[in-house]
Amino acid sequence: MQPAVELRGITKRFPGVLANDQTNLVVEKGEVHAVLGENGAGKSTLMHILYGSYQPDEGEIVLDGQQVRFASQREAIGHNIGMIHQDFMLVRPFTVVENVVLGLRDERGGILDLGKAAARIKELSDRHGLTVDPWARVEHLPVGVQQRVEIIKLLYRDARILILDEPTAVLTPQETGKLLATLRALTAEGRSVIIVTHKLHEIIEVADRITIMRDGRTVATLDKKATTEAELARMMVGRDVALKVRRTPLRQGNPILRVSDLYVADDRGASAVNGVDLSVHEGEIVGIAGVDGNGQSQLVEGLMGLRAIRQGSVEMAGVEITDAPLFDRSGKGLVYVPADRRGVGSVATLNIEDNAILGNQRQFSGAGSLLRDRAKSRSHAETLIDRFGVRTPDIRFPAGKLSGGNLQKVILGREIMRDPRVLIVEQPTRGLDVGAIEVIWSELLAAREQGKGILLISAELEEIRNLADRIFVMYGGRFMGELRSEDASDEVIGLMMAGVSAVGAREVGHVEYV
Amino acid sequence: MWNMFERRLAPTESPWAIAAMTFGSVVLAFLIGAVLFLPFVSNPIDAYVSLFEASLGSMRGLGITLNRAAPLIVIALGTCVAWRAGFGYLGFEGCLTIGAAASAWFALLALDGGLAFIPSILFFAVAICISFGAGGAWAGGVGLFRSRFGGNEVLISLMTNYVAAFIVQYLVSGPMRAPGSLPQTPRLPTETWLPGIIPETRAHAGILIALAATGLVWLLMSRMRLGYELIVTGLNPFAARYGGINVGRRYVLAAFLAGGLGALAGLIEVLGTQHRLLDGLSGGIGFIGIVVALLAKLNPLAVVPTAVLYAALSVGADAVQRSTGAPSSIIFILQSLIVLFVMASDFLRYWTIRLPFKSPGSESGKV
Amino acid sequence: MFDDFVVSSFLVTWLAASVRLAGPLLLTALGEIFAERSGVLNVGIEGTILIGALAAYLVTYQSGTPWTGFAAAILAGILANLLLAWMYVTVRANQVVVGIVFNILALGAASYGYRLALGSASNPELIPMIGSVTIPYLSSIPLVGPILFSHSILLYVTIAAVLAGEFVLFRTRFGLNVRAVGENPHAAANAGISVSRIRYAGVLLSGAGAGAAGGYLVLAQIGLFRDTIVVGQGFIALAIVIFGRWRPIYAAFAALAFGAADALQLSLQLFSFDLPPQLLLSLPYVLTIVAVSGLIGRAAQPAALMEPYRPN
Repeated sequence: MQPAVELRGITKRFPGVLANDQTNLVVEKGEVHAVLGENGAGKSTLMHILYGSYQPDEGEIVLDGQQVRFASQREAIGHNIGMIHQDFMLVRPFTVVENVVLGLRDERGGILDLGKAAARIKELSDRHGLTVDPWARVEHLPVGVQQRVEIIKLLYRDARILILDEPTAVLTPQETGKLLATLRALTAEGRSVIIVTHKLHEIIEVADRITIMRDGRTVATLDKKATTEAELARMMVGRDVALKVRRTPLRQGNPILRVSDLYVADDRGASAVNGVDLSVHEGEIVGIAGVDGNGQSQLVEGLMGLRAIRQGSVEMAGVEITDAPLFDRSGKGLVYVPADRRGVGSVATLNIEDNAILGNQRQFSGAGSLLRDRAKSRSHAETLIDRFGVRTPDIRFPAGKLSGGNLQKVILGREIMRDPRVLIVEQPTRGLDVGAIEVIWSELLAAREQGKGILLISAELEEIRNLADRIFVMYGGRFMGELRSEDASDEVIGLMMAGVSAVGAREVGHVEYV
Repeated sequence: MWNMFERRLAPTESPWAIAAMTFGSVVLAFLIGAVLFLPFVSNPIDAYVSLFEASLGSMRGLGITLNRAAPLIVIALGTCVAWRAGFGYLGFEGCLTIGAAASAWFALLALDGGLAFIPSILFFAVAICISFGAGGAWAGGVGLFRSRFGGNEVLISLMTNYVAAFIVQYLVSGPMRAPGSLPQTPRLPTETWLPGIIPETRAHAGILIALAATGLVWLLMSRMRLGYELIVTGLNPFAARYGGINVGRRYVLAAFLAGGLGALAGLIEVLGTQHRLLDGLSGGIGFIGIVVALLAKLNPLAVVPTAVLYAALSVGADAVQRSTGAPSSIIFILQSLIVLFVMASDFLRYWTIRLPFKSPGSESGKV
Repeated sequence: MFDDFVVSSFLVTWLAASVRLAGPLLLTALGEIFAERSGVLNVGIEGTILIGALAAYLVTYQSGTPWTGFAAAILAGILANLLLAWMYVTVRANQVVVGIVFNILALGAASYGYRLALGSASNPELIPMIGSVTIPYLSSIPLVGPILFSHSILLYVTIAAVLAGEFVLFRTRFGLNVRAVGENPHAAANAGISVSRIRYAGVLLSGAGAGAAGGYLVLAQIGLFRDTIVVGQGFIALAIVIFGRWRPIYAAFAALAFGAADALQLSLQLFSFDLPPQLLLSLPYVLTIVAVSGLIGRAAQPAALMEPYRPN
């Protein structure tokens, strides 16, 4: 039987990045096919190409045996392909009916017949078990129901191939279960479902076959029955080039950052951090491993004062800072290098000098912190680019034009030069080349030797194992257990990242030597 | 022919391209103006010459031009501060009106020798403070709406212009009214008039206030920590927040400063030119100042020459109408075309022109 | 009893004037609703009204028939807003600034155009105007009759337009697309709708409304052209759109409120009140501020208003 769709040799370039590199994908009719990979692996781009949002630079799309070219989303929709994005494409004040019929052109004279559409929606919703009130306004619906509306949109247009981009990212466990059941039912009708995700646990439950992508390439395509979560985790996050650093023996000092029973909510009000305890001592690196999206960002935002803490406490050197504004926390020596270096960590249009003082600008002002001390900030920036090896013509160069690695050096450098007590770094080497990674790693280790405490959040196993003295694995807003770096093999961490507790993971890790 | 144009990914930043575009816009506008002059004047160049002679060529004309430029400068400065902080304030008409009312109120205290014991310098200093404070509070309120409730400052500030106008309308018809039927205050005593600065002309100290304000705003934006924080807030409020900056407070600060500067325009008008408060004294300056700021690309130093040029055009327009009979509306058209062309030229910087005889990929021949 | 008569005749005069003044405001606001619903704040309607007024005057002067003048006013408004739409949607320039500058340009152009066409005659000629109707029977109803049922034909045209506008906005595919583009242009684009095309349409509709309002002023109210006949009506229309929560039918009531405030100025000459008139005059604006202050939620404003659309 013909596959539903084949993507052959797809290559797509954006300025500065090769998003897809000769990528292949084969999806059969009536199957749930998972496309697995980290952020930046190129899976979303590939799906956008299938959906007609982008055109590939090279490669072809073969739909049911016929080669096709989609110049726009409209054409893909016309070929019965539908896509549900991670950010739902719903008009919030509209009713369900209005959202479903948006973009169609099927009535006389341009006058809407919402009643007829509502009846058809009701019929579809009954047939597929997607309960929804056609006249409800989308903004009042819980996220799980909003997703149902998105699915109904696709079914209303008789989509034979449904693409779902990170569908469970915004769902509760119960909603996730319902969704996966729905997807199974849809494939029973002969439709194909492509799920793009990095959530291993759900994949194992619902997928028939899995394609793993990394750095824009297809790594492997496996039958679900022929693999395990651990193997998938390893294939998803492994790096091709092995980096090694030398880490001096741990000289752990006093605890400086203490977090007790922390609960933090996400933007929707659901609990993203569920009772986290941790402490960071002088001179150690504490690593938090875990696939992105398990509460790490919310944890850090809670620690820094960028997000309200629902329950629990945070202390720096014995002083409670649970409700303190960010400014006070950095004043006490708690600083942060965020994951989004271009959007939030720096101001692209300002030069290096101005970015080098961001967050600490009062230190670089005289006259009662009114007048900028340009000489001081200039020499600070010069020292920074010198010490951290930032490749730039000069400090007047706009930060937005720096390469990822150089920009990260500036951001990390400015925080290290504040002589903090605890440094929180989130995904510090995401998207960087090997040379930059080595510099960042050695700077973090140097800070550790100077007695600073570092909290490292990363989805890169190699990074965690190379740098961290103690490792926590975060899953579903909780720590699945604490490991010393000597005990943390890929299997063990991989299983914990997939939700298995530390004890169970260690058992499995010891038994399985395939 | 259309394949001569190729779209870039980001607009070209080269200063030459920008200067060329700005210069081209001005030239094009003047050319169109020349065409508009034709039905009335045999040689448009003569009209332009007499325009600039009248506004900049004589001391008298220069004096009037500087008087007209002064309120434009301070409003443009207010726009620079607010808009660069990411606060789209448009209520300068209202601030001008409020500042005018506050200065007039204070000046009226000097009627019948009420403030005779105060030296002039002190009077003006206090008047500036009162006026600035009134305007700052007026606009600061809008800033609070934005920072506390997330209100839309563009729409709110547009509406506050009307409320301010009504407040002054009430004041000049009632409590501050001069005896007589006209809705206006009594003429302000001469001690409260801004002193003249160039003998034999009507130029008054308003331009000095404007220049001082220019210096202070420039100092704020390039040399002061608060200016740095305002700019970061405007460029990337998220990064500002992660950098520990209290974004809401900065919006209120930006609003306060913008309002105070706008109010100074009112003080300059009332104490320098009009010498009384009356209904409708703003005459649209509140919006023209915004336009001047945009032409000057929100750069405080560029505001002064831009405002003087703009004011020169307005002053010259009247002179040209008197001497040639050509309507002054041609100059309004000219002024607005300059701005529109400059704004449209930002768009053109997205495109490059590939001349057919150059090989593809070569830098020369691109605009 | 005499007092009752005085009060009721004041009320009738005042309310009839309110309805009359509200006409052009409502027409402008109606067009602007479509522009803002599609996500574009068109401040240039102020200048467009003037251009429409000029077109109405000149064409009626030439042709002798006021209805051709009215049609010309609409056409002129649309053409003028073609430039605005290009600046807003294609160039993606700052909408507010473009609008402000356009108003200055329109004032200059209208002044110049009038001068060119008719010279600087100090006695402008009156042109044939569009007349009023007095609806039989209904207009004889005491009180309500004169207030509602004996007005210019254009007022009834305006009311019909409001009803049509409400229908188009909420019952047609076009209206659905307009609202989608103004709330979430990415979702609309994702559904295959051309955001630029819809926004161009919205701005051109606001041009048609403002142009028609200019024609209304000249042909049904004033009878001649001066460049001072439009002073702030465009901005008042912006307030009406907000106050009417971007719905044509509510805008009609909002226009009435603003018209009433304006008419109060005239009527108050005849009767003395203790409250300063400015208090009441500013009330609609204060209420509009409250409406967008965020105090009562931002629910009604089109979410993508004033944000130029950049496809990802």
